[in-house]
Amino acid sequence: MSDKKKLLMLLVEDEEDMLKAIRLRLEANGYEVIPACDGQEALMKARTEKPDLIILDIMLPKMDGFKVCRMLKFDEKYQNIPIVVVSAKTQKADIERGKEMGADAYITKPFKSEELLKTINELLAK
Amino acid sequence: MADQDFDQQALIADIKEKFYWAIMVRYALVVLGLVLVVFGSFLGSLQNINLLLVLFVLVYNFVAHLIYVAKVKFSLWGIIVLRSVFQILDVLAITFLIYITGWLESPYWFLYLVMIIISGFGMYSYSSISVFVIAFFSAVFYMGLLGCAYLRIIPMYGPNFTLTSQQLLISIYNKAIFTTVSFFLFATTIYYFSKLLNQNREQLAEKNKNLLAALEELKDTDRLKDEFVSNASHELRTPLSVIRENIALIKDGLLGQTTSEQRDLLQTTQSNIDRLANILNSLLDISKIESRSLELRRQPVNISEIAHRAVEFLLPKAYSKNLEVETHFGEKIMILADADQILRVFINLLTNAIKYSNENGHIMVGIEDLGEKGVECFVSDTGIGISQNDLPKIFERFVRFDKQKENKGAGLGLSISRGIIEMHGGKMWAVSKLGEGSRFIFRLPKGAENE
Repeated sequence: MSDKKKLLMLLVEDEEDMLKAIRLRLEANGYEVIPACDGQEALMKARTEKPDLIILDIMLPKMDGFKVCRMLKFDEKYQNIPIVVVSAKTQKADIERGKEMGADAYITKPFKSEELLKTINELLAK
Repeated sequence: MADQDFDQQALIADIKEKFYWAIMVRYALVVLGLVLVVFGSFLGSLQNINLLLVLFVLVYNFVAHLIYVAKVKFSLWGIIVLRSVFQILDVLAITFLIYITGWLESPYWFLYLVMIIISGFGMYSYSSISVFVIAFFSAVFYMGLLGCAYLRIIPMYGPNFTLTSQQLLISIYNKAIFTTVSFFLFATTIYYFSKLLNQNREQLAEKNKNLLAALEELKDTDRLKDEFVSNASHELRTPLSVIRENIALIKDGLLGQTTSEQRDLLQTTQSNIDRLANILNSLLDISKIESRSLELRRQPVNISEIAHRAVEFLLPKAYSKNLEVETHFGEKIMILADADQILRVFINLLTNAIKYSNENGHIMVGIEDLGEKGVECFVSDTGIGISQNDLPKIFERFVRFDKQKENKGAGLGLSISRGIIEMHGGKMWAVSKLGEGSRFIFRLPKGAENE
């Protein structure tokens, strides 16, 4: 049997260390990972690479995660890509805003990697 | 500078108002005068000169009224001068009145003092000069009147004098000195009096300005603090996340095999990271609670249901120590509160009850509906209790009383819980006996009308 095509994750995170850690975790779980370090790069790569799921940080340079989320979710072509927000912004107001912008899930930092993986699995299963 | 302009505008408006008030009073006096003249004409002959006085006042008052209605833009000095001009005309009218009521023997010279008082009050620090201006004109007009009457430039009204010319002169002289001196003495008194009043007013205004400035500064500082707290929150959480993730990656074998010893160590590291994260969250919360900037989302909630959830959540922990948990509350008690925060309080109290209970203990959670007074909730245990010495301190920050037990908390739980209850307008307290157990009680208002 040929290799099933690996699922593609777009990982948007401006902190290099964090990016490396999450990427390692995702790749170990059999996903292919494309990184992006700012809002604009995130949008661009979402459009060109067509990932199966996006992991999105909020505090990003050039364009914040909420905007990126909204722009993708309001675009017919990309609204079906599940978006998991992973952010140090833990206020209720932030979580609600995430939901308003169309995020499919909101995970606060620091997080347990099992939680992230579980959420990703659930969203991909749909 | 803008402040000064504003003050000036307020001043000008105030003086304008007084100007208007004076106009209305004059109209009233004119009407009164007319009534008296008409009345007098029924009794005796119509005194033309009385009518003349009334008309004089009417005319210049009318001019004043026209100027007022014309809505001319006045500068501060403009309106002060205007007001003074008409006050001087009032002094003239008073002089006229004194003339026709017996000049030398007229009882109405006190009206000059009334004018001095009126001019002295209500023009704030500018009143100083006007008192003396009015006093001056009062003296000048009065003495002028006496002089003119004596020199028969104008016909003398009033009682026929049986005094000799010389006696009359002396009488006039005395009167002139007496009134002039009184005017100026009076003016000086009013001047100092109003200056005293003004000083107080100005001091108060100054203090007010300082207070407002200090308040603005405090607000700024507070805002800076909030910004710092929320930034610190992010700044601390980010490296914490990286550390946690990296440890997890190693421990889960993603970077190569690990020995069981290594895994144990990493496990301890992870627990400590969790602990750090908890302390961080608690610190941020307590900071928000203390600055009252924690956002409460009050909604009608069933507090029984919240307590029930807390119990359910902690039941496994309780059972692991073989603790019995008993609940005492009705199905549905509605209050206005932030459900998440109240849940935290219950969880905190229950966690403490479990933590500080020995095996085979008994924990009770109760809610009592006190109607108008609100609801009273308690969590009691049969644990190690708190000594009377320590009891007053338990709600303080970073206070923990048993150093032996393994503890993940930072000692902020009770502090936060009490803060939450107090932000809801309630009260929290505890009773305890060392060795027997403790009971933590809090009362919450129902919240419908009170705020």
